[in-house]
Amino acid sequence: MKRRMVSTLLCLTMAAGLAAGCSSKDSGNSSGGSSSSGGGESAGGKESVVIWDYFETDAQKNMMQDMIDGFNESQDKYEASHVYVPFADYEKQLTLGMASGELPDLVILDGCGMASFIEMDLFGDVSDANISWDEYMEGPMSSTMADGKHYGIPFATNCTALFYNKDIFDAAQMEYPDENTTWEDFRKMAKALTKDGVTGFGNAATGTDEGTFQCLQWLYTAGGDYQNIGDGVDAYNLMQEMVAEGSWSKDCVNWTLSDANNNFVAGNLAMQQNGPWQIPGIEKDAPDLNYGVTVLPKKDADSGQATSILGGENMGAVKQDDMSGAIAFMEYYDQTDVMVECMKQYGSFPPKTEAAQDSYWTDDPIQKAFIQQLDTSIPRGPSASWPAYSDAIQTGFQEVMTSAKTPDKAATDTQAAVDKVKEGEK
Amino acid sequence: MKKKNHISTKAGFLFALPAAIYMLVFVGYPMIQNFILSFKNVDVYTFADSTKQTFVGLSNYTELFAGEDAILSTAIINTLIFTVVSIFFQFFIGFGLALLFNKKFKGSAFFRGVTMISWLLPVTVAGLLFKFMFASKGGIINQLFMSLHLIDAPLEWLLEPKLAMAAIVVANIWIGIPFNMMLLITGLTTIPEEIYESSKLDGANKLQTLFQITIPMIRPAIMSVLTLGFIYTFKVFDLVWVMTKGGPINATELVSTYAYKLSFEQFQFSKGAAAANILFLILFVVGIFYIKLINDEEEVM
Repeated sequence: MKRRMVSTLLCLTMAAGLAAGCSSKDSGNSSGGSSSSGGGESAGGKESVVIWDYFETDAQKNMMQDMIDGFNESQDKYEASHVYVPFADYEKQLTLGMASGELPDLVILDGCGMASFIEMDLFGDVSDANISWDEYMEGPMSSTMADGKHYGIPFATNCTALFYNKDIFDAAQMEYPDENTTWEDFRKMAKALTKDGVTGFGNAATGTDEGTFQCLQWLYTAGGDYQNIGDGVDAYNLMQEMVAEGSWSKDCVNWTLSDANNNFVAGNLAMQQNGPWQIPGIEKDAPDLNYGVTVLPKKDADSGQATSILGGENMGAVKQDDMSGAIAFMEYYDQTDVMVECMKQYGSFPPKTEAAQDSYWTDDPIQKAFIQQLDTSIPRGPSASWPAYSDAIQTGFQEVMTSAKTPDKAATDTQAAVDKVKEGEK
Repeated sequence: MKKKNHISTKAGFLFALPAAIYMLVFVGYPMIQNFILSFKNVDVYTFADSTKQTFVGLSNYTELFAGEDAILSTAIINTLIFTVVSIFFQFFIGFGLALLFNKKFKGSAFFRGVTMISWLLPVTVAGLLFKFMFASKGGIINQLFMSLHLIDAPLEWLLEPKLAMAAIVVANIWIGIPFNMMLLITGLTTIPEEIYESSKLDGANKLQTLFQITIPMIRPAIMSVLTLGFIYTFKVFDLVWVMTKGGPINATELVSTYAYKLSFEQFQFSKGAAAANILFLILFVVGIFYIKLINDEEEVM
């Protein structure tokens, strides 16, 4: 009898392992609170300001440390420090943190995820902070706001553009792509360069938002947007045809941004779509790589510059009784010179229009291409339902790239999925 | 006599008490919370405001199964295929290796230890290794098949829905073999040498020994391996998450990856909880079967 009971219990534990793992989110009492961890006092009688980030490269870590040192020296009321949380777990940890109350004072997070967390009441209103709101670019700024209130500030902004390997183009005696390159030219280039183990083009089309971040711009450039898939069906046609020709790597379906970049650096790709944060890594690991960057190809000769999707991070102030530490830190970062120094180390652009015009970026031909691309970059969403939109949209791209559906069929089905998400928006 | 028995039963419950309390707090509570959550409408819009959270009955479950773009049924079928095929090969290869390493030959202990490596390796690492090996360009598996002239052109392992499923199953089989092998070896060592000796004297050949003596003698071990294997394979998550994230286009979506996506990527907490509960229910049934099995064995003994 006893053994029976013990074995029953043991077996239940095993079976419950997963269900329990997914269930630790407490549904009801998690709102608003989270003041438990913030505003603690550190050794020197200063109030501590804890920041979460997911920065992994040495350059990013140094940037973070320099910024924190700078803040700590600039005043004697607060003592800032930061905690690394892996990117893959980031949103899960924030969600669990809201349930358990273990949260920092300030969160640096992916811009497109912020709307969801504002809706979930993670962030507090900081509209009264002494921050020069008018100086920020509109796209990044809108991702930190809801109902006209500010919940943080943009931290870094960037977008993706077209990288090309000059040596591969030179060997084939072909002209480099530039701002006049159309989809038709781009397709011809990619096809001509696909030989001897080199694929013409590749990007990140993995089944997560990382893939959406790279694929969505093709839809916008074709004339669609995240709620109107059908208008961008030309993008689906281009993708499916190029993948069928072998000039757009089919492996992209499983590629992340770093996978695409590694293949570009290794010489497997003649062209890739990627962002400026890859530049420090390329300079370090492959200093001899002879490459250039230009804006993404435009639809046809008559259309304007291609759209790109804004990436980058925001700083959000966690809602709690005393948010003064988080606000003080954001006010420190709001100073243009601080922001510019940080972004030079970080490999992205400051989210203030004027700060991005620093000669550090405008004098460098590669950085300049990104500044030019930023002009026609748009944010994802913003919508609290963005993750659901992103999932629906990326499924469409994957269906097209793997030829699981024809472009028209994929467009119809994706539109239906997107409409359903739209219905669920409140 | 009777009284003494009574006391020992009491003491027995006392000894089981700490475990029971532990189970109630750390397993029972989250499970009940999860059940409650799955009957509510908690998502990104109602998460913060508990006044907006209402009970919606079974609608999360019906939507998961019958909604327009419902993929839970696909996920359950995928999980079943994944589990059954994995266990089939894991078991037979594991059993073969167990019979081999049960023989005392030079180096048998060493090689038995070496086969454990795939069990000791963190699953995430194994997943990454297999992702590289199955890469359609430059992956070692395609190169091997090409050089053996089994295929003419590289196969797109992780890109074609059926091949992607095959790839994650192969990876999982490789990881699970040592577990099967070790449990079966433990079973084999319980068979007394004398039985083999006497069967030899009676003139039994090798096949007869295997089917008439070895397999019946380790039946309890075999059943444990199969049911435990079913449970841990059915709830596999990390391997698939690393290799395909459930893609391409849900071809390798399992119940576990789907529940994770719902809860932590789309913030549909109630739906995610409902999907996790379905997984739990299936495993609960298997668990009951396992308990019944153990008790039957006990009664026999």
